[in-house]
Amino acid sequence: MNTLLNIDNLHVAVGDKKVLNGLTLQVPAGEVHAIMGPNGSGKSTLAHVLAGRPGYEITAGTVSYQGTDLLALAPEERARAGLFLGFQYPVEIPGVNNVYLLKAAVNAARKQHGLPEVDAFDFLTLVKEKMQLMQIDESFLSRGVNEGFSGGEKKRNEILQMLILEPKLAVLDETDSGLDIDALKIVANGVNSLRAPERSFVLVTHYQRLLDYIVPDRVHVLVRGRIARSGDRELALELERRGYDWISQEAA
Amino acid sequence: MSAASDLLTARIAAEHASALPDLPTSVIGRDRRLQAIGAFSARGLPINRQENWRYANLHTLHHARFTPAQPQATLEPSALPGEIEGYARYIFVDGRFAPELSHHSPHPALTIFTTGTEDTAQHIAAEQELADNRLALLNEAFATDGARIVAADTAHPTCIEVVFVATAAAQGGASYPRLQVTTQAGTRLGFIERHISLGSEANFINAVVNIEVGRGATVDHYRLQQTGAEATWMDTLSARVATDGTYRLHLANLGGQSARSTQQISLAGERASTVLNTVSVAGRLQVHDVFAVIEHAAAATQSEQRFRGVAAQQARVGFNGKVVVRTDAHGAVSRQSLRGLLAGPQAEVDVRPQLEIYTDEVQCSHGATAGKLDENMLFYLLSRGMEPEMAQLLLKWAFLEDVVAKIDLPALRGQVEHALAGQMDDTAALRELL
Ligand SMILES: Nc1ncnc2c1ncn2[C@@H]1O[C@H](COP(=O)(O)OP(=O)(O)OP(=O)(O)O)[C@@H](O)[C@H]1O
Ligand SMILES: [Mg+2]
Repeated sequence: MNTLLNIDNLHVAVGDKKVLNGLTLQVPAGEVHAIMGPNGSGKSTLAHVLAGRPGYEITAGTVSYQGTDLLALAPEERARAGLFLGFQYPVEIPGVNNVYLLKAAVNAARKQHGLPEVDAFDFLTLVKEKMQLMQIDESFLSRGVNEGFSGGEKKRNEILQMLILEPKLAVLDETDSGLDIDALKIVANGVNSLRAPERSFVLVTHYQRLLDYIVPDRVHVLVRGRIARSGDRELALELERRGYDWISQEAA
Repeated sequence: MSAASDLLTARIAAEHASALPDLPTSVIGRDRRLQAIGAFSARGLPINRQENWRYANLHTLHHARFTPAQPQATLEPSALPGEIEGYARYIFVDGRFAPELSHHSPHPALTIFTTGTEDTAQHIAAEQELADNRLALLNEAFATDGARIVAADTAHPTCIEVVFVATAAAQGGASYPRLQVTTQAGTRLGFIERHISLGSEANFINAVVNIEVGRGATVDHYRLQQTGAEATWMDTLSARVATDGTYRLHLANLGGQSARSTQQISLAGERASTVLNTVSVAGRLQVHDVFAVIEHAAAATQSEQRFRGVAAQQARVGFNGKVVVRTDAHGAVSRQSLRGLLAGPQAEVDVRPQLEIYTDEVQCSHGATAGKLDENMLFYLLSRGMEPEMAQLLLKWAFLEDVVAKIDLPALRGQVEHALAGQMDDTAALRELL
């Protein structure tokens, strides 16, 4: 089995606070892993650390991605190496056009791989096609990144970016939160359309409902900065019934 | 006052006394010139310790000669910025009209002071009781030429561009651009005003613009300050807006070593309104400073002030926006959004909102921030694979575009955007946005 992401004994602090405490997780290529866990347990921290956000101190542990040391790479290098973070709270960037960003992102990755820039016309056709899939109105093409988007629109826009960038590893932080039922299905369709033997997903979610649409290979429960329990999709159903207390107690 | 500025004030008065016999009386009569220099000498030059001058760089004045410059270079028309369609262009070189470079036929709305048959200039300096008229007094004392624009056609907009080219070095002499703009009731005026340097980059320019917006008239005033890298650009602008009139100002402050604009906009009639959009981009050791006072003197008047300033390297960018709402200005609406961006560890940005409100019935919303690029935005762009330098550049660009996009003449906006990109040293990286 080919492990795409290998996190070993990861310890991370933010200021004085220890947020991740010996987190170990392997994600083989082609698999979908769900990460659940109580508020504040460190899920977004993990996602940010994987994407290389500054402000986190890695005090111990290693992360390897495609066999290389992920933590040694700058955020933009990780992105170009095929890592994609779908943000829990996508930021609005007025004045930076949506399509411009998409194209810059695609070209950055292409440049890395020695490919020429995308043809502007072909690219726009591709974007429009994916927008249709995500049911995002074409008027969003001319708007600023996430500018004035509703909560659900921002999440769909994250998936749109993912569809166009076609990452190797997508870390989606609560992409399902704040979505109505229809939008949830749209997002799930988007993710499922990208599932492939060489591509993996880490889905951070609070709701087992998402996992009805995107069936995970593994479910992990993060408690106080480490994986307290792992299982198959049955674990998500059990969490839905029983909550987190029993796992937290076991972990303590 | 400091001893150094006293000496300078005295030196200016002496320069004026020797220059006076040669100064054209068709522009400003001898008596008024004497009055102006007298009033100036009594008050002296502004100094940094004085209220509303603290951000300006006034040191460069000490190296300047105040006597009007003789035009130095013969200009190639190709060195001038591209013309904007529909705008007839008139050019002044070192404060003197240059007919050979200007639009071939005279404009019905434009009179050049030196060729006019009457003394058309108004007493411009008197208008600035709220802001500061000292530099305007100097212009009045030394002015060599200028133009009067009168928009009288209510059926069609009047569109004029005036370019002030400075060619002489500051040690050789100063240039005094001077404009008197009047719009009659119900007219529309589109008016582009540029300040550029050719030949020497180290000019001293002291401009005065006075604008009367008539009843129900609209003025769109586009100002581009693109003087040379070592130029000192001083400017005093006054506008008075009558009932139902609108005055919109777009100022792009880009050039100069030291650039200071003092502006006073008076909303004198009911429902008069104004929009002041300013962008300022400074690098190296540049200092850009704007002091803008808006006076709401009548009921239901409206003002909107936007400022976006970027200071890189060791530059300093200041914007001091003052709003005065008089007792009679019931129902006035005033909005202010002032934002400064620090793009270098040694740069300085100062935004200062000031409010003086003498009536209860006003709606004011005021925001002023100065800081660095937003970390969340930056990380978002990096997480999509963008180079850090490009991400920073893009965010700076977006920051400015917020205001630049409001320039509603696409060709002119394009020129401003190119100039901004050039100023940020990265036309190539931004080419897709231009
Ligand atoms: N920049 C920061 N400064 C201080 N504390 C932080 C910072 N970032 C995270 N934390 C703390 O680390 C802990 C984990 O936060 P994180 O956002 O990773 O939780 P989460 O599992 O994503 O929670 P949620 O389910 O609410 O999204 C929290 O206690 C949080 O307050
Ligand atoms: Mg979270």
